[in-house]
Order: sequence, then structure tokens, then C-alpha cells
Amino acid sequence: MSSLQGYVDRRVLLILQDGRVIVGVMAGFDQKSNVVLSDSKERIYSIDEGVEEIPLGLYLVKGDMIVLIGELDDAVEQAVDLATIHAEPIPPIRY
Amino acid sequence: MRHNFCPLGSLIFSVFKTLTDQQVTVELKNDLSITGVLKSVDQFLNIRLDSIKVLDEARHPHMMAVKNCFIRGSVVRYVQLPSEHVDTQLLEDATRRGAPT
Amino acid sequence: MENSSIQEPFDLIRLSLSERVFVKLRGDRELTGILHAYDGHMNLIMSDVEETIMIVDVAEGAPAGQPATVNVAKRKMEMLFVRGDGVILVRLPYCRICRCSCNQVSPPSRT
Repeated sequence: MSSLQGYVDRRVLLILQDGRVIVGVMAGFDQKSNVVLSDSKERIYSIDEGVEEIPLGLYLVKGDMIVLIGELDDAVEQAVDLATIHAEPIPPIRY
Repeated sequence: MRHNFCPLGSLIFSVFKTLTDQQVTVELKNDLSITGVLKSVDQFLNIRLDSIKVLDEARHPHMMAVKNCFIRGSVVRYVQLPSEHVDTQLLEDATRRGAPT
Repeated sequence: MENSSIQEPFDLIRLSLSERVFVKLRGDRELTGILHAYDGHMNLIMSDVEETIMIVDVAEGAPAGQPATVNVAKRKMEMLFVRGDGVILVRLPYCRICRCSCNQVSPPSRT
């Protein structure tokens, strides 16, 4: 298994099948790559406005829904003002 | 069942294993393309990439703070491979050997 | 005889190893390239690949039934893994079926 072990207790960014982006601290995972995030927030991207963050708290994401899990570089995160980022939302998964 | 000639697609799995530490570009079914160094792969063809870079970062700034990632095999459309590290003759022989006669 | 060994679909694909094939994919995509490997999921590894994407634009407010404009985007890739779940069909180099010496991907025109 290309394991998720290295991501436990790290700040991660998840991209989901429907295009949602969620950041949080990976509290745990299992064989099916179901993931538990603590202190999580959804990041909503739009062209017209800066990124909006919606707090979600402790969140369980089903493995099937996950496209990608990325480890966040805190230095880069802190250097970026999300309010200034304007971008299209990530498209949902289609063939 | 005659089609178990490649149990769990292990031929392709082996190919990816030989490409560990090489640079690849993974194109996802949400049209995101991510280039990075292949760190590991598993039987589901889930992929771990290091030192990643998203194609057209201006359009896709969502991952600018992401340094490495885990990609679910099922959302991959293509992986562009470094052709100099792929032995096509070996692949064809292995595919023929694995295939039913 | 080569053709007599074709008993099931995957036998046909085996015969096209190291030949140029045409692959139709979900999402209005097509590939041509040289086939080097495949497995039971129809995962493929191909080289010298040209991808064609059909982008269908339906003009806004256009009356129903009006033909949509189709834009075609092409790109080339040296060596490509294609995940099998997107594969709709693999068309063989035609000459392996008609046993002629041509090496074209498209079938001869019907007259």
C-alpha cells in the first residue's frame, strides 16, 4: 500500500471527487483510505472573490470521495493571503 | 477464468515500481495535470509524488502550498512516463508471456 | 495460423502489441500510438502517442437540432500509461485482420 502513514499529524489538503478542497490535520486513516481530519476547513474558490474558508471541525472523508491528498508546506501557506487568490473551482471528476 | 493472466494488473504495477524516483506527469480525470517525482505506487495504482508542480499554476493555484501528494489510482486518466526508462521490448515480452495462448 | 488463435477479445489485442493502434476513450478523446503493454483491466502503455480531444460547443440560445461546432485539440506524448477504466475500444492495425501488407490504422473505404 502506497501508505498515507507519512501524512498523519501533518497539515494536508484534500481534493474531492466533486471538486471541493478541504484542509486540515490528518488525525487518521484506514485501509480504504477513509480519512479523519481535525480542525478542518473547506476552501471555496471563485473568480470574483478571494478564497472563502468555512470551518468544518472534525471531519471524516470517505476514501471513495478522495482524489488527492497533499502535504501542505506551512511556510508557503503562511506567506499566501488567501483573500487575494481568485481562481475557478476545481472541476468535478468526469471521464 | 482465463483473464487472470495478470493478477491484479501486476505487470503495470511492476512497470511503475521500476520508475520510482523518475519524473512523471499524472493527468487526472478532473483535468488537473501534476508533474513530480514518483515515490511509490501500490496494487491499486495509487501514486505518491514528491516535489510536485501543477500544470498551468495560474489557473490552478489551489495546490501551490502542496509539496508532495497521494493520488488515488481510480482518478488517474493518464501518466506520462519517461520513455528513456521504459524498455518497450521487455514490456511486450512480459505482456505476451502473461497473456493466454 | 495466426488468425486461428483468436478466440476471445484479448487475443486480438495481443496481436497488436508493438503495432500502432487506435484507442477510443471516454470524454470524447481518441489516441493513436504504438502498443507496448496491456493487462486485464485494459490498462495500456503506448508510445509515440497522439491524443485528439473533441470539444463540442453548443452555441448559446441556438435552436434545438442546430449542429454544434466541434473543436479538435491535438497533442503528442512520448510514452503514456492509459488507465483502463477510460477505454471504450481498441482498434487494431487493420492489416492484421485482412492479412494484407498495409499498415494503416483506418480500415479501407467501403465501395
